[in-house]
Amino acid sequence: MRTPLLLSLLLGAALPAVAAKVQVQLQDGAGRPLSDAVVFLESREAQAAVKPLQGAEIAQVNKQFDPQVRVVTVGSSVSFPNHDTVRHQVYSFSPTKTFELKLYAGATANPVVFDKPGIAVLGCNIHDKMVAWVVVVDTPYFGRSGADGKFQLDNIPPGNYHLRIWHTNLPVGAPALDQPLALAATGSSVSVRVPGLTP
Amino acid sequence: MTPDWKWWPDTGSWRLSTRIVLMSLVLLLVVQSAGLLVVRASIERNARGQIANELELGERVWRRLLDQNAEKLRQGAGLLAGDFGFRAAVNSDDLETIRSALDNQGARIGATVSALLDNQLVLRATNYTPDTPDLGTVLGQIAMPLSRSESGGTVALVGNTPYQFVMVPLRAPLVIGWVLMGFPIDQTLANDMLALSGLHLAMLTQVQGKPPLVGISTLAPTVLQALQAAGGNMAELQDDGDVLVARQVNLNAVAGSVQVVLLRSLSDVVTPFQQVQVLLLVISLVGVILFGLGSTWAARRVTTPLRSLVEGADRLGSGNYEQRMLYTERRDEIGDLANAFDRMRKSISISRNEIQQLAYWDRLTRLSNRVRFRGLVQEAISQRDSINSKVTPLSVITMNIDRFKHVNDILGYEVGDRLLVAVAERLIARMGEDMLVARLGGDEFAVLLPRANAAAAMAVAQAVGKSFESPLTYDEHTVDLSVSLGIASWPQHAADVDTLLGRAELAMYAAKRKTTGVQLYDPALDSSSKQTLSLLSELRHAVEHNELRLFLQPKISLATGQVVAAEALVRWQHPTRGLVPPDSFIPFSEQTGFVRQLTLWMFDEAARQSANLQLPGQALRIAINLSTRDLLDPDFPARLETLLSKHGVAPEAFCLEITESAIMDDPMRAENTLKRLSERGFKLSIDDFGTGYSSLAYLKRLPVDELKIDKSFVMAMEREIDDAKIVRSTIDLAHNMGLTVVAEGVENAAIWDLLREQGCDEAQGYYMSRPIPVSDFVLWRERWMHRAEA
Repeated sequence: MRTPLLLSLLLGAALPAVAAKVQVQLQDGAGRPLSDAVVFLESREAQAAVKPLQGAEIAQVNKQFDPQVRVVTVGSSVSFPNHDTVRHQVYSFSPTKTFELKLYAGATANPVVFDKPGIAVLGCNIHDKMVAWVVVVDTPYFGRSGADGKFQLDNIPPGNYHLRIWHTNLPVGAPALDQPLALAATGSSVSVRVPGLTP
Repeated sequence: MTPDWKWWPDTGSWRLSTRIVLMSLVLLLVVQSAGLLVVRASIERNARGQIANELELGERVWRRLLDQNAEKLRQGAGLLAGDFGFRAAVNSDDLETIRSALDNQGARIGATVSALLDNQLVLRATNYTPDTPDLGTVLGQIAMPLSRSESGGTVALVGNTPYQFVMVPLRAPLVIGWVLMGFPIDQTLANDMLALSGLHLAMLTQVQGKPPLVGISTLAPTVLQALQAAGGNMAELQDDGDVLVARQVNLNAVAGSVQVVLLRSLSDVVTPFQQVQVLLLVISLVGVILFGLGSTWAARRVTTPLRSLVEGADRLGSGNYEQRMLYTERRDEIGDLANAFDRMRKSISISRNEIQQLAYWDRLTRLSNRVRFRGLVQEAISQRDSINSKVTPLSVITMNIDRFKHVNDILGYEVGDRLLVAVAERLIARMGEDMLVARLGGDEFAVLLPRANAAAAMAVAQAVGKSFESPLTYDEHTVDLSVSLGIASWPQHAADVDTLLGRAELAMYAAKRKTTGVQLYDPALDSSSKQTLSLLSELRHAVEHNELRLFLQPKISLATGQVVAAEALVRWQHPTRGLVPPDSFIPFSEQTGFVRQLTLWMFDEAARQSANLQLPGQALRIAINLSTRDLLDPDFPARLETLLSKHGVAPEAFCLEITESAIMDDPMRAENTLKRLSERGFKLSIDDFGTGYSSLAYLKRLPVDELKIDKSFVMAMEREIDDAKIVRSTIDLAHNMGLTVVAEGVENAAIWDLLREQGCDEAQGYYMSRPIPVSDFVLWRERWMHRAEA
C-alpha cells in the first residue's frame, strides 16, 4: 500500500557548503499532526556513511520497555538492562532480528547486534503487555517527529534520498513509508500525510 | 308473611350448647373452606409463576452453560495462543507444527474445530481432523464479529449442527493472528441442563428456507413429535394429562436460527402442593373435630351450670330452700349468676319463714294459729292413716273463755290481750311436751293430744278446767275466769281433721251451755250428725202429728195455798217408743234451733188450753220457758201476739221464764226482746236464779217481775245452812227490788214451811205435784183445793 505523496519543493540558492536542512511536516490520515513518527533518509551515500551506534540500550523499568521505540543504525549493539525486580524474557520473532534473552532481575545480558535494517518487534514472554520496537536503519540520517508533527535534520548533504516514515500505529509487519526526496543544497521542506494508522 | 319453606332449621328449640357448638363449627368451616379455596387458587397461580420463574432461570442457566463452555474454549485457545513454541512456529510459518499444535490443544479441551487465522482473519491452518466441511463458509461470517468482541463466543450453524465458536488473538507481542476453536452443542449439554435445572430442553435448528429440525432433546419421543408439529412456537404442550409449560430461547445463531425450548411439567410443580392441600384438608378435619370437642366442652362448661341453676330455680319454685346453689365458687359470670340465685334463695327462704310466721303463728300468744294447728292435726292423722297398723288415737281439746266479751267490753282490749297471753301461758303449763297448744282465734284455744284417747283427754281437760279456778293475775289485778272445754277424739268421733275440730268445738259450746266446764263430744250434740238429722225429722213429725203433749206443774201461793200458776213443760208421746224424756230431745232442739218451734208449739197449746183452765175468781198463769234462740229472734214478740189473738187470750195470762245464761249469751239483744215482751204485758221471770253469773245490778235493768230460785238451793236448804241463807237473802233481795219469788224443788213439807216462814211467794215441786198432763192437772187441782179447804 502506497500512500499518496504530497510534495512541496522549496527551491533555494545552492550553498557552496555541503550541508542542507530538511524539514518535514507529518500528518495522520485525518490531517492532524503526527508525533513520534520515525523519519529517516536513505541513499547509497548515506548507507556508506553508516556507523554502528555505541551504548544503545532498551531498559526494562516497571514492566515496560524504556524506550519503547529505539532507532539504531545497522550493526549497532543494543543492551537490555533489567531494572525490575522481576524476571523478563525478551524475545523477537521479527525477521530483522530473531532472538531470545533470559533476563534475570537486575542482570544485563550480552548486547544484541542488529545487523539488518528493518523493524524488530520485541516482547516479553512473561509479560504480554510489554512491547518495544527496534527500528534498524541503514543511514546516519534519522530522527523523530515532535509533538507538533515537525521533523528537522541539518547538515545533510544535498542529493536524492528515500524519505522513509514509520510509526508504531502502522499495521503490524508493514514496512516504513518510502518516498523520494531530492534534497537541494538550500534544504528541502516537505509535508507528508501518513494514512492507515490504527488509532 | 312467612314463607312455607326455610332453608335454615328451626333453631329455636335447640339447646344452647348445641347452638354454640354448631355456630362455632359453621364459622370454622367457612373460614377453613375459604382458606382452602384461596390456597387452591394460589397454588395454581403460584405454580405457574414458579414455572415461569424456573423457565426464566433456566434460560439464564442455559446461557451460563454456554458461556462456561465458551470460557473453557477460550481458555484453551488462549493457552495455545500464549504458548511460546506455538508463537515461534507461527512466526516461522511451520505449518506442520502449527496443525499438530492445534490438534493437540483442541483434543485437550474437547474442541472439534481448531484453526489459526492470520491477522487479516484469513484461514492459515486447521487441525488435522475437522469434521466441519463447511467451516470455510461459516468462517467468513463469524471471524469478524468474534475478533471484535473481547469475550464470549458465538453460535453458528454448521450444516444442521449448532456449533459454539470462540476466537482469541495470537500476540507476539502484537496481534499476529487468531486461534479459533469450536465444538458442537450436543446431547451432553442438554443432559447437564436437565440435571442442573430440572428443565427439559429441545433444540430446533433451521437453515434459511428449510423446515426446522429438532436437534438434541431430553424429551420423550411422543412429546418431541408434538413439539415438532407445533414448530417450537407454543406456550404450553399437552402430554398425557400433564401440561408442559414452554419458554423459547433464541441463541442468535449465525448461518441459520437455533432456538432452544425449555419445558417444565406443571404437575411436577403442583404435586407437592397437592400433598400440602391434602394435609391442609386433614388438618382442617382434625381442627373441626378438635374445635367441635373444644366448643362442646366450653359450651358444657356454660350450660351444665345453667341447667343446674334451672334445677335450683325449680327447687325454689317447689319450695325447697335448703339446698345451696352449685357453682357459686366459680369466679366468672356463671359464678355471679349462681351467687345471685343463692342470695335469692336465702332471701326467699327468710321471707317465706316470715310469711309462715305470719300465716301459721299467732303474734299475740306466739302459739300456732288455726291454720297451722289444723295442718298439724291433719299431718298426725295422715301419718296414722299411712301406718295403718293398730291405730293410736289422738284427741283435740278446744277451750273457750266464758264471757270473754265482757272482759273486753269492760276492761278494754289491751287487758283482754294480756289476759289471753296469761291464759295461753297457763294452758301451756298444763300440757305435756308432746301436746300442741294453739290459739284458734279470739278467745278460743285448742290442744292436740297426739297419743290420748277420749278418756285421757277428758282427764287433761278437767285438769285444765280446774287450773282456771284460781284467778289470773296480771299487774296488780286479779281476774276470775272460767273456761269451757270440748273434746273430740280421732278416730272415735271423726275421720278427718275438720270434722274433728268442728266436733271438739261443738262439745265446747255444749259445755258452755250446760256450764259443765268440760264436755266430750257426743253425736247427740251435733245437729249435723245422722242421728241428729233423724231425730230432727222425727221431732218435726211429732209436731205435725200431735205427738207432743203439754204437761203442767203447779206453782202454789205459799200464803194462800192457792194454785196461782203452772209451768208448762213438753213431753213427747212417741208412737213406738212411748213417752220420751225431755232430756232426750230438749238439749238437742236447743242446739239445732228447733227449740223455737217447740216454744211456739208450747205457747200455742198453752193459749189454746188456757181458757179451760181458768176457774172463776182464781186465774191460772201459765209459765212458758224461753230459750236463748227465742230471745235472739227479733220477730218473737210478734209471733206471740199472733198466737194470743188467735186464741183470744191476754198476755197477762202468761209468764215467760228465761234462764240467766240465756240472757247472758247476748245481753243487749236479750234485754231488748224482754223489754218488748214486758211492754206487751207478759210477766217475766228469771229461771234457775243463782246458778249463773248475772249481777243484780244488771237484772235490775231488766223488766223482770219474778225470780225463780234454783232448785239446787231449795232442795238443800233444810240441810245446808248456807243454802238456806242464800234462799233467804235472795227472797229479801227480790222483795226489796219489788220482785216476787218462786222456789223450785220443794220436795217436802219442811221446805214448804221454811219457805213460807221466809216469805217466799210461790212454791213449785214434787211435794205438791210432778209435771202432769193438762187433764190430770185439772183433777189434781180439784183434789188440792179440797185438801186445802180441809
